[in-house]
Amino acid sequence: MTRIQRRVQALLAVAVLGAAGMFLGGEGWPGIDFGPVGAALLYAALWLFVVHLAKYCGEVFPAEWSPAERQAWVALVFVALIGLHVLNLLDALPELGAEADQLRNSATRPLWTNVGMLVFGWIVIASILRRQDTGGVDLDERDLRIAHSASRFADGGMSLLIIGLVVALVALPEHSRTWLRPMIAANVLIALLLARTLVENIYTVLRYRRERG
Amino acid sequence: MSGFAVRNRIREFRQQRADMTQADLAQACGVTRQTIIALEAEKYSPSLELAFRLARSLGRNLEELFRYEEKN
Repeated sequence: MTRIQRRVQALLAVAVLGAAGMFLGGEGWPGIDFGPVGAALLYAALWLFVVHLAKYCGEVFPAEWSPAERQAWVALVFVALIGLHVLNLLDALPELGAEADQLRNSATRPLWTNVGMLVFGWIVIASILRRQDTGGVDLDERDLRIAHSASRFADGGMSLLIIGLVVALVALPEHSRTWLRPMIAANVLIALLLARTLVENIYTVLRYRRERG
Repeated sequence: MSGFAVRNRIREFRQQRADMTQADLAQACGVTRQTIIALEAEKYSPSLELAFRLARSLGRNLEELFRYEEKN
Protein backbone atom coordinates (compact mmCIF):
# COMPACT_ATOMS: atom_id res chain seq x y z
CA MET A 1 0.00 0.00 0.00
CA THR A 2 1.39 3.40 -1.00
CA ARG A 3 1.68 6.52 1.19
CA ILE A 4 -1.20 8.15 -0.73
CA GLN A 5 -3.43 5.11 -0.24
CA ARG A 6 -2.70 5.12 3.53
CA ARG A 7 -3.62 8.80 3.61
CA VAL A 8 -6.86 8.09 1.73
CA GLN A 9 -7.68 5.29 4.19
CA ALA A 10 -7.21 7.74 7.07
CA LEU A 11 -9.54 10.19 5.29
CA LEU A 12 -12.15 7.43 4.92
CA ALA A 13 -11.87 6.63 8.64
CA VAL A 14 -12.46 10.33 9.41
CA ALA A 15 -15.44 10.34 6.99
CA VAL A 16 -16.96 7.28 8.73
CA LEU A 17 -16.46 8.95 12.13
CA GLY A 18 -18.04 12.13 10.77
CA ALA A 19 -21.00 10.21 9.32
CA ALA A 20 -21.50 8.44 12.67
CA GLY A 21 -21.49 11.79 14.47
CA MET A 22 -23.80 13.33 11.89
CA PHE A 23 -26.42 10.58 11.94
CA LEU A 24 -26.16 9.24 15.49
CA GLY A 25 -24.58 12.13 17.40
CA GLY A 26 -27.80 14.05 18.14
CA GLU A 27 -28.77 11.64 20.90
CA GLY A 28 -25.26 10.79 22.05
CA TRP A 29 -23.49 12.36 24.97
CA PRO A 30 -26.07 14.11 27.18
CA GLY A 31 -26.36 17.75 26.26
CA ILE A 32 -23.96 17.65 23.32
CA ASP A 33 -25.12 17.47 19.70
CA PHE A 34 -22.34 15.95 17.59
CA GLY A 35 -24.35 16.38 14.37
CA PRO A 36 -22.75 19.64 13.10
CA VAL A 37 -19.22 18.48 14.07
CA GLY A 38 -19.82 15.13 12.34
CA ALA A 39 -21.12 16.87 9.21
CA ALA A 40 -18.07 19.18 9.15
CA LEU A 41 -15.72 16.19 9.52
CA LEU A 42 -17.52 14.21 6.80
CA TYR A 43 -17.54 17.01 4.24
CA ALA A 44 -13.95 18.04 5.05
CA ALA A 45 -12.81 14.43 4.51
CA LEU A 46 -14.75 14.19 1.23
CA TRP A 47 -13.30 17.51 0.03
CA LEU A 48 -9.75 16.37 0.88
CA PHE A 49 -10.46 13.10 -0.96
CA VAL A 50 -11.42 15.09 -4.08
CA VAL A 51 -8.18 17.13 -3.72
CA HIS A 52 -6.11 13.92 -3.44
CA LEU A 53 -7.89 12.38 -6.40
CA ALA A 54 -7.30 15.44 -8.55
CA LYS A 55 -3.64 15.72 -7.48
CA TYR A 56 -2.49 12.10 -7.39
CA CYS A 57 -4.97 10.65 -9.89
CA GLY A 58 -3.89 7.02 -10.48
CA GLU A 59 -2.33 6.49 -7.03
CA VAL A 60 -5.48 6.81 -4.91
CA PHE A 61 -7.04 3.44 -5.77
CA PRO A 62 -5.16 0.10 -5.87
CA ALA A 63 -3.76 -0.60 -9.36
CA GLU A 64 -5.63 -3.92 -9.53
CA TRP A 65 -9.00 -2.14 -9.45
CA SER A 66 -10.45 -1.54 -12.93
CA PRO A 67 -11.95 1.89 -13.79
CA ALA A 68 -15.47 0.44 -13.51
CA GLU A 69 -14.67 -1.05 -10.08
CA ARG A 70 -13.40 2.34 -8.89
CA GLN A 71 -16.63 3.99 -10.07
CA ALA A 72 -18.65 1.27 -8.29
CA TRP A 73 -16.86 1.94 -4.98
CA VAL A 74 -17.45 5.68 -5.29
CA ALA A 75 -21.13 5.06 -6.13
CA LEU A 76 -21.44 2.70 -3.15
CA VAL A 77 -20.13 5.32 -0.70
CA PHE A 78 -22.31 8.15 -2.06
CA VAL A 79 -25.49 6.07 -2.33
CA ALA A 80 -24.95 4.86 1.26
CA LEU A 81 -24.55 8.47 2.46
CA ILE A 82 -27.64 9.66 0.56
CA GLY A 83 -29.55 6.63 1.91
CA LEU A 84 -28.58 7.56 5.49
CA HIS A 85 -29.94 11.07 4.90
CA VAL A 86 -33.26 9.67 3.64
CA LEU A 87 -33.48 7.27 6.62
CA ASN A 88 -32.78 10.22 8.91
CA LEU A 89 -35.61 12.12 7.24
CA LEU A 90 -37.97 9.15 7.57
CA ASP A 91 -37.14 9.12 11.27
CA ALA A 92 -37.91 12.84 11.65
CA LEU A 93 -41.04 13.20 9.45
CA PRO A 94 -43.63 11.43 11.69
CA GLU A 95 -42.89 13.92 14.49
CA LEU A 96 -43.84 16.87 12.24
CA GLY A 97 -47.51 15.86 11.94
CA ALA A 98 -49.36 17.82 9.21
CA GLU A 99 -46.21 19.83 8.38
CA ALA A 100 -44.68 16.60 7.01
CA ASP A 101 -46.94 16.88 3.93
CA GLN A 102 -45.32 20.13 2.79
CA LEU A 103 -42.59 19.66 0.20
CA ARG A 104 -40.31 22.10 2.02
CA ASN A 105 -40.58 21.58 5.75
CA SER A 106 -38.09 21.88 8.61
CA ALA A 107 -36.88 18.29 8.08
CA THR A 108 -36.51 18.29 4.27
CA ARG A 109 -34.70 21.63 3.92
CA PRO A 110 -31.34 20.45 5.37
CA LEU A 111 -31.77 17.16 3.47
CA TRP A 112 -31.89 18.87 0.06
CA THR A 113 -28.76 20.89 0.90
CA ASN A 114 -26.84 17.81 2.06
CA VAL A 115 -28.00 15.57 -0.80
CA GLY A 116 -27.22 18.35 -3.28
CA MET A 117 -23.66 18.63 -1.91
CA LEU A 118 -23.23 14.86 -2.05
CA VAL A 119 -24.50 14.60 -5.64
CA PHE A 120 -22.18 17.46 -6.65
CA GLY A 121 -19.22 15.71 -4.96
CA TRP A 122 -20.15 12.43 -6.67
CA ILE A 123 -20.27 14.09 -10.11
CA VAL A 124 -16.88 15.76 -9.53
CA ILE A 125 -15.20 12.51 -8.38
CA ALA A 126 -16.77 10.47 -11.20
CA SER A 127 -15.59 12.98 -13.81
CA ILE A 128 -12.03 13.00 -12.37
CA LEU A 129 -12.02 9.18 -12.52
CA ARG A 130 -13.21 9.23 -16.14
CA ARG A 131 -10.31 11.52 -17.09
CA GLN A 132 -7.69 9.15 -15.63
CA ASP A 133 -5.40 7.49 -18.10
CA THR A 134 -6.46 3.84 -18.18
CA GLY A 135 -4.76 2.76 -21.38
CA GLY A 136 -7.70 3.65 -23.60
CA VAL A 137 -10.31 1.20 -22.23
CA ASP A 138 -12.65 2.19 -19.40
CA LEU A 139 -15.33 -0.44 -19.81
CA ASP A 140 -15.04 -3.89 -21.37
CA GLU A 141 -17.11 -7.07 -21.69
CA ARG A 142 -16.24 -8.26 -18.15
CA ASP A 143 -17.44 -4.95 -16.67
CA LEU A 144 -20.66 -5.14 -18.71
CA ARG A 145 -21.23 -8.74 -17.65
CA ILE A 146 -20.74 -7.84 -13.98
CA ALA A 147 -23.03 -4.78 -14.35
CA HIS A 148 -25.71 -6.99 -15.94
CA SER A 149 -25.48 -9.62 -13.18
CA ALA A 150 -25.54 -6.89 -10.51
CA SER A 151 -28.62 -5.31 -12.08
CA ARG A 152 -30.46 -8.66 -12.18
CA PHE A 153 -29.50 -9.40 -8.57
CA ALA A 154 -30.66 -5.95 -7.46
CA ASP A 155 -33.97 -6.36 -9.33
CA GLY A 156 -34.56 -9.61 -7.42
CA GLY A 157 -33.74 -7.82 -4.16
CA MET A 158 -36.06 -4.94 -5.09
CA SER A 159 -38.93 -7.38 -5.73
CA LEU A 160 -38.39 -8.91 -2.28
CA LEU A 161 -38.26 -5.45 -0.68
CA ILE A 162 -41.52 -4.40 -2.36
CA ILE A 163 -43.24 -7.64 -1.34
CA GLY A 164 -41.94 -7.09 2.21
CA LEU A 165 -43.28 -3.53 2.22
CA VAL A 166 -46.68 -4.64 0.92
CA VAL A 167 -46.93 -7.37 3.57
CA ALA A 168 -45.87 -4.87 6.27
CA LEU A 169 -48.51 -2.35 5.14
CA VAL A 170 -51.26 -4.93 4.98
CA ALA A 171 -50.32 -6.40 8.35
CA LEU A 172 -50.10 -2.99 10.04
CA PRO A 173 -53.02 -2.40 12.46
CA GLU A 174 -55.26 0.45 11.31
CA HIS A 175 -54.47 2.71 14.28
CA SER A 176 -50.74 2.48 13.44
CA ARG A 177 -51.26 3.65 9.86
CA THR A 178 -51.80 7.29 10.79
CA TRP A 179 -48.06 8.00 10.52
CA LEU A 180 -48.12 6.93 6.87
CA ARG A 181 -48.69 10.38 5.36
CA PRO A 182 -48.21 10.91 1.58
CA MET A 183 -44.78 12.53 1.99
CA ILE A 184 -43.61 9.67 4.23
CA ALA A 185 -44.86 7.10 1.68
CA ALA A 186 -43.00 9.03 -1.07
CA ASN A 187 -39.79 8.93 0.95
CA VAL A 188 -40.24 5.21 1.68
CA LEU A 189 -40.34 4.65 -2.10
CA ILE A 190 -37.19 6.78 -2.54
CA ALA A 191 -35.53 4.71 0.20
CA LEU A 192 -36.49 1.53 -1.70
CA LEU A 193 -34.88 2.86 -4.88
CA LEU A 194 -31.73 3.77 -2.95
CA ALA A 195 -31.70 0.31 -1.34
CA ARG A 196 -31.84 -1.26 -4.79
CA THR A 197 -28.91 0.86 -6.00
CA LEU A 198 -26.99 0.05 -2.82
CA VAL A 199 -27.55 -3.70 -3.31
CA GLU A 200 -26.42 -3.36 -6.95
CA ASN A 201 -23.21 -1.59 -5.95
CA ILE A 202 -22.45 -4.01 -3.10
CA TYR A 203 -22.91 -6.96 -5.48
CA THR A 204 -20.66 -5.24 -8.07
CA VAL A 205 -17.73 -4.59 -5.71
CA LEU A 206 -17.99 -8.08 -4.19
CA ARG A 207 -18.00 -9.68 -7.66
CA TYR A 208 -14.89 -7.74 -8.69
CA ARG A 209 -13.23 -8.79 -5.45
CA ARG A 210 -14.12 -12.46 -6.05
CA GLU A 211 -12.81 -12.37 -9.63
CA ARG A 212 -9.48 -11.03 -8.40
CA GLY A 213 -9.18 -14.14 -6.27
CA MET B 1 -21.72 -29.60 -16.83
CA SER B 2 -20.59 -27.93 -13.60
CA GLY B 3 -17.64 -30.36 -13.31
CA PHE B 4 -15.89 -28.70 -16.25
CA ALA B 5 -13.98 -25.44 -16.52
CA VAL B 6 -12.29 -23.34 -19.19
CA ARG B 7 -8.51 -23.39 -18.65
CA ASN B 8 -6.12 -21.13 -20.52
CA ARG B 9 -2.43 -20.61 -21.18
CA ILE B 10 -2.59 -16.83 -21.66
CA ARG B 11 0.06 -16.05 -19.03
CA GLU B 12 2.41 -18.72 -20.36
CA PHE B 13 2.19 -17.54 -23.99
CA ARG B 14 2.39 -13.86 -22.99
CA GLN B 15 5.51 -14.47 -20.93
CA GLN B 16 7.10 -16.27 -23.88
CA ARG B 17 6.94 -12.90 -25.61
CA ALA B 18 9.37 -11.17 -23.29
CA ASP B 19 8.35 -7.68 -24.29
CA MET B 20 4.60 -8.19 -23.84
CA THR B 21 3.12 -6.87 -20.60
CA GLN B 22 -0.45 -7.36 -19.36
CA ALA B 23 -1.12 -3.74 -20.32
CA ASP B 24 0.16 -4.37 -23.89
CA LEU B 25 -2.06 -7.43 -24.28
CA ALA B 26 -5.02 -5.53 -22.81
CA GLN B 27 -4.53 -2.70 -25.28
CA ALA B 28 -4.18 -5.11 -28.20
CA CYS B 29 -7.45 -6.84 -27.25
CA GLY B 30 -9.43 -3.71 -26.28
CA VAL B 31 -9.98 -4.67 -22.63
CA THR B 32 -8.72 -3.37 -19.29
CA ARG B 33 -5.51 -4.69 -17.73
CA GLN B 34 -7.64 -5.96 -14.83
CA THR B 35 -9.56 -8.22 -17.23
CA ILE B 36 -6.27 -9.76 -18.41
CA ILE B 37 -5.38 -10.35 -14.74
CA ALA B 38 -8.76 -12.07 -14.17
CA LEU B 39 -8.30 -14.15 -17.34
CA GLU B 40 -4.79 -15.25 -16.39
CA ALA B 41 -6.01 -16.22 -12.93
CA GLU B 42 -8.84 -18.19 -14.63
CA LYS B 43 -11.40 -16.24 -12.64
CA TYR B 44 -13.15 -15.11 -15.82
CA SER B 45 -14.07 -16.91 -19.05
CA PRO B 46 -13.94 -14.62 -22.10
CA SER B 47 -16.55 -14.26 -24.82
CA LEU B 48 -15.81 -16.04 -28.10
CA GLU B 49 -14.88 -12.73 -29.72
CA LEU B 50 -12.39 -11.85 -26.98
CA ALA B 51 -10.97 -15.38 -27.13
CA PHE B 52 -10.25 -14.88 -30.84
CA ARG B 53 -8.68 -11.47 -30.18
CA LEU B 54 -6.46 -12.97 -27.45
CA ALA B 55 -5.39 -15.82 -29.72
CA ARG B 56 -4.59 -13.44 -32.57
CA SER B 57 -2.64 -11.06 -30.28
CA LEU B 58 -0.58 -13.95 -28.90
CA GLY B 59 -0.07 -15.53 -32.33
CA ARG B 60 -1.76 -18.80 -31.34
CA ASN B 61 -4.92 -20.62 -32.25
CA LEU B 62 -7.87 -21.16 -29.93
CA GLU B 63 -7.14 -24.83 -29.27
CA GLU B 64 -3.65 -23.99 -28.04
CA LEU B 65 -4.84 -21.13 -25.87
CA PHE B 66 -7.96 -22.65 -24.27
CA ARG B 67 -8.89 -26.07 -22.98
CA TYR B 68 -12.22 -27.29 -21.66
CA GLU B 69 -11.42 -29.82 -19.00
CA GLU B 70 -12.66 -31.42 -15.84
CA LYS B 71 -12.12 -29.49 -12.61
CA ASN B 72 -9.61 -31.02 -10.19
